[in-house]
Amino acid sequence: MAGHLPADIRPWNVRRDNGLTNAIMRETLASGTRRFSEGKRQVFQGYESQEAARQAGVQAKRRAVAHLDELLERAQATIQAQGGTTHVAATAGEARAIVREIAQNAGVRLVVKSKSMLTEELELNKELAASGMRVIETDLGEYIIQLARETPSHILAPAAHKNRAQIRALFEVDAQQAHLPPPADDDARSLTQFARARLRQEFLAADMGITGGNFCVVETGTVALITNEGNADWVTSVPRLLVCVVGIEKLVETWEDLTHLIQQPAMNGIGQRLSSYTTLISGPRSQFGEGPEEFHVVFVDNGRRSLVGTPYEDVLSCIRCGACLNVCPVFRQVGGHAYGSVYSGPIGVVETPLLTDFEVGAELPSVACTVCHACGEACPMDIDLPGHILRLRQEKVRRHLTARSANWSYGMWSGAWATPAGYRRSLRLARLAQKIYLRRGWLRNAPGLAHGWFITRDMPKVADITFHEWWAQNRGTGAHD
Amino acid sequence: MKTELGTRTVRLFATCLIDAFRPDVGQAAVQVLEQAGVEVQFPSSQTCCGQFVFNAGYRQQAAVLARHFVSVFQDESTPIVALSGSCAAMVVHEYPTLVIDGVAAGETASWAAAARAVGGHVVEFSQWVAAHLTPSGAAASAPRCLALHQGCHMRRVLGENAEPAQVLSRHGIEIQELVDADQCCGFGGTYSMTEWAVSTALGDAKIAALEEAGRRGAMGLVSADLGCLLHLQGRMRRRGLSWPVYHVAEVLREAMQPQGGE
Repeated sequence: MAGHLPADIRPWNVRRDNGLTNAIMRETLASGTRRFSEGKRQVFQGYESQEAARQAGVQAKRRAVAHLDELLERAQATIQAQGGTTHVAATAGEARAIVREIAQNAGVRLVVKSKSMLTEELELNKELAASGMRVIETDLGEYIIQLARETPSHILAPAAHKNRAQIRALFEVDAQQAHLPPPADDDARSLTQFARARLRQEFLAADMGITGGNFCVVETGTVALITNEGNADWVTSVPRLLVCVVGIEKLVETWEDLTHLIQQPAMNGIGQRLSSYTTLISGPRSQFGEGPEEFHVVFVDNGRRSLVGTPYEDVLSCIRCGACLNVCPVFRQVGGHAYGSVYSGPIGVVETPLLTDFEVGAELPSVACTVCHACGEACPMDIDLPGHILRLRQEKVRRHLTARSANWSYGMWSGAWATPAGYRRSLRLARLAQKIYLRRGWLRNAPGLAHGWFITRDMPKVADITFHEWWAQNRGTGAHD
Repeated sequence: MKTELGTRTVRLFATCLIDAFRPDVGQAAVQVLEQAGVEVQFPSSQTCCGQFVFNAGYRQQAAVLARHFVSVFQDESTPIVALSGSCAAMVVHEYPTLVIDGVAAGETASWAAAARAVGGHVVEFSQWVAAHLTPSGAAASAPRCLALHQGCHMRRVLGENAEPAQVLSRHGIEIQELVDADQCCGFGGTYSMTEWAVSTALGDAKIAALEEAGRRGAMGLVSADLGCLLHLQGRMRRRGLSWPVYHVAEVLREAMQPQGGE
């Protein structure tokens, strides 16, 4: 069953042009993605054992997807055995309702959250706010975009499009409202110190924590979270109630699987050997320990299961490291918001139409990819991203989601060129027809599909003597066709 | 340059872009190979590898062109020297599964086998030159220093990275690497037409990198893929910039000319 994703319904060219004309965003994104990619290159140097771990991790993810139903059953049993409560939501609407009801039943007024793309996908904050709860994002980047009332522009670095001056301005307004001293400066340290003090107020007052889940280990019912700020430790240990919202594709069977995978997001995403904090949650507070009194795991499908058994199944291996975004030339130009989906970059191009059965982002495979294959090279989970983008373009042709004029042009073009005579005839014809578009020996325009080229570029004219003709005249044995 | 092992024969895969828009690249390749004692054949029934229509999502239409290509090249086993890394990658990596699209069940195995065999003979031009020709002592009249643009499919699908720089360096040509060299130039086949805004933004980023390489001494841009070059050249011309762009074969021909000659 297809899932639902939030969509920016403005047309692609509006979203794209917003990106292309946002100089600050393009600068911060270019420097950030370049830094991440370079970091990734360096961290793998002299750390050869990680290549074997990565490959074992890929196998673990593939196995888990192949046994999804069985692992989901077992995970629920192990989580329940240690006192947790489990829920399975088929749709985004079900997932929202489950989390809202848990919160309402416990009389929750303030929710603190650690970073979770899935809860962005579910628009969970909106649902809880509509029920009168205050929801605070505690990941630094998420907190920034929450203050700015924006959505993430990068799956790993949600505020990658903002510079320090913009962040300081947001924090100054926030400081006034929270009766705190504003950031002393706009350097990273001052900004982080402000956020630390500000968020501490919320951590201590919150009655509910919500997290995502980077991995969920079936054999022990453990949710693994990785952060660089330690905010997940606060979210999972201070409030009396904890809900982890986990995509069903996050299951891995064993701890051994987890050990192969746990470094991969940080290594591939930002070039760090391990994220600064790894938070492991196995059940609610025990008689000896600390932690929440009540612990829930909500497993969410929302279209994921529909990919099982299709050529796109490997997409479910995604660990949300962002490596494909960091190398994507289109992403660097237009930024994450242009995709109109919570998932941007190459994985967003593939996942957005797939999870929603082309309801959202049907344009993305055509408009947001030059087929450069950089994402395929970067993906640590060996997801065939370039192949999938081409497959989705083919799917659009099959589903008649392409313009009729384009179908006609490509059909005529390939039909003519399928025979040597047709090919030569079409070039001779072009040579005659191009005369009206020539200026100083160069083509300045052309009709139909080719027109797009000439909006920003010139083109050499079709040669007076093509290579075929030169060969026939100089090396050939006689006239052809 | 001389071939290592006496006379050889190759078949030239010229590509549609070179045929129509810059036939001199094909002539340059013929001259480079012939001057080195290689016999060049040109199967004149060849048209286009079909990549433009394949990348746009029109698989059936691409399959028709792929089968035409295979039928033109399948009868012999001499090397097929491709004047584009991207088109070579198309034949080598996509054809074996593409050619069977739309053929009768009984013929799929033979088409796939023929496509694999043809793909096995395809070698990108600079790769073939790097492997089989050794530079002669002729003085170079080519540009002294060039920036190199490596097309994405050559870099990532063929996995060929060193050869263009290698064959040019042998002739004393200094190669300046572009900043963000691994980033796509934005051409992307018909993507350059259908999504011209992003394509152009990427082209401008590549042109900025070329200008930066120019400050390090680069006198122009060289590549083994004409598609990228036409996109960048066309953009520069529209912007009033005049950096020359060269296919590897054109630079090699110049490099093999005696000094002062043309």
